[in-house]
Amino acid sequence: MEKKLKAFDVIVVGAGPAGASAALRMAQKGLDVLLLERGETPGSKNMFGGMMPFFPVAEEIIPDFWEKAPWERHVVKRILHMISGQSSTAMEFESDSFNHSPYNGYTLFRPIFDRWLAEEAQKAGAQLLCSCLVTDILWKGKHVTGVAVGRKHGHVRAKVVVACDGVLSFLAQKAGLRQAFIPSQMALGVKALFRLREASINERFNLARAQGATCEFLGCTNGIRGGGFIYTQAETLSVGMVLHLDALKKSGKEPYLLFEEFVGLTPVRRYLKGARLVEYSAHLLPEGGYKMVPKLFTDGMLVAGDAAALCYTNGLNQEGMNLALTSGFMAAETVIDAFRKGDFSSKQLSQYEDRLKESFVLKDMKTFKEAASWMHSERLFSAYPQLINSIMEELYRSDGKPRKKIGKIGWDAIKGTVSKRHLIADLLKGGRSLVW
Amino acid sequence: MVVDDLFALTSFRVHDEPHIRINQNTCAKCTHRACTFACPAHCYEWSEERGRIDFAYEPCLECGTCLLLCDQGALDWNYPVGGFGVRFRLT
Repeated sequence: MEKKLKAFDVIVVGAGPAGASAALRMAQKGLDVLLLERGETPGSKNMFGGMMPFFPVAEEIIPDFWEKAPWERHVVKRILHMISGQSSTAMEFESDSFNHSPYNGYTLFRPIFDRWLAEEAQKAGAQLLCSCLVTDILWKGKHVTGVAVGRKHGHVRAKVVVACDGVLSFLAQKAGLRQAFIPSQMALGVKALFRLREASINERFNLARAQGATCEFLGCTNGIRGGGFIYTQAETLSVGMVLHLDALKKSGKEPYLLFEEFVGLTPVRRYLKGARLVEYSAHLLPEGGYKMVPKLFTDGMLVAGDAAALCYTNGLNQEGMNLALTSGFMAAETVIDAFRKGDFSSKQLSQYEDRLKESFVLKDMKTFKEAASWMHSERLFSAYPQLINSIMEELYRSDGKPRKKIGKIGWDAIKGTVSKRHLIADLLKGGRSLVW
Repeated sequence: MVVDDLFALTSFRVHDEPHIRINQNTCAKCTHRACTFACPAHCYEWSEERGRIDFAYEPCLECGTCLLLCDQGALDWNYPVGGFGVRFRLT
């Protein structure tokens, strides 16, 4: 950081999906943008176990976005496994309607995807500076006017700072937009990447060519709130677990030992046979849902992506990257407007929140705002998978004893695993979270 | 065991100075020492004989689990200097 940096129109902190899409859009509209990234290259600090769902503004960010981005596979199949002891019940959904471009969802590698997007921003005229850690926010009164960078705390000034510094957004915290991070709103993801021949992946998941599958696992976490996953890339599988931090702490268990148990489970082991481990990673995820979303703007600053906790799960959908890219785009549109008016006040920048509220980003998060607290019930991760498996086992078991009807099997299974009071409470809460 | 190989395959560019510093006096009094089991990179280990945490910052994956779980204020937690620390290749 010896070189003296000039002042910019906008500084974007973090070249992840939110930051790169914001920088790209603003550069396209002629703003002088500095995009800062603490990693050696964009994406080198980021972990993804997942699928990026289709989202509409992609085509506005980059024409032919869905053809150009460096995808691994497009997802046509979603599988949910419920595990208990030696048993496993799976639900598989597959549709030919997910097999037409633009596809419904894609798997990808973050160090490759993030780098691609940041390079697109560079091509549009944004200045990308990697290996640059932002250490503080610069203020003029109550107005954010830039950031301090590097070991020598060099100052870079701008009219607006867009903080896309990820799940542990120290910038949002320093700007007073969010409170302290709390374990009950965070989950730890641990993941290992396994290499496997493309043909073996296609055979095991029953896929053709570039088709992909996602597998989620419930009941595989030793009673800890969380779940397991497998995502298919072209020649690799992303295998991992997500564990609620407060539940992990309470359990006293090591995440890598839980992972070891997970990969030993029969359905997981079968997918992984002969696969070679290539990389291990870990990252936090915002899991607090709508209630965790901080204040999104202040004078001279906006927050987007994971930094704004724009990430949610309702049990079936896990979304983050699409929300990050869309929020980055909307932050950019807001800043572009602010430049038109020459007004960078909190009042002008509040448009950002309006845009997010009108879009699927905050609408979806609001729709499933109860899901985060519903998923704080331990029973979802052990008692219910156990219940389902004991019903299925009873249904299929042939042992010469007279068979019972499903209702009686179900009732007997419930009596052994969960109290009536809890069952009703969980159904009501689950219903309110997801069904109506 | 998969775990034995897990830690060996991640790439790092280690800086000379640790990006996390711990206050051993505080750790000695901690009742849960959640960092010693919850850290996914096993950076923290309680040493009974030395009566302190054996801490290695080098294999840190920069996830922040320790920061979130330490409720004793024992950690001075920063990201590594720009360009240093973990570098995921494909993840």
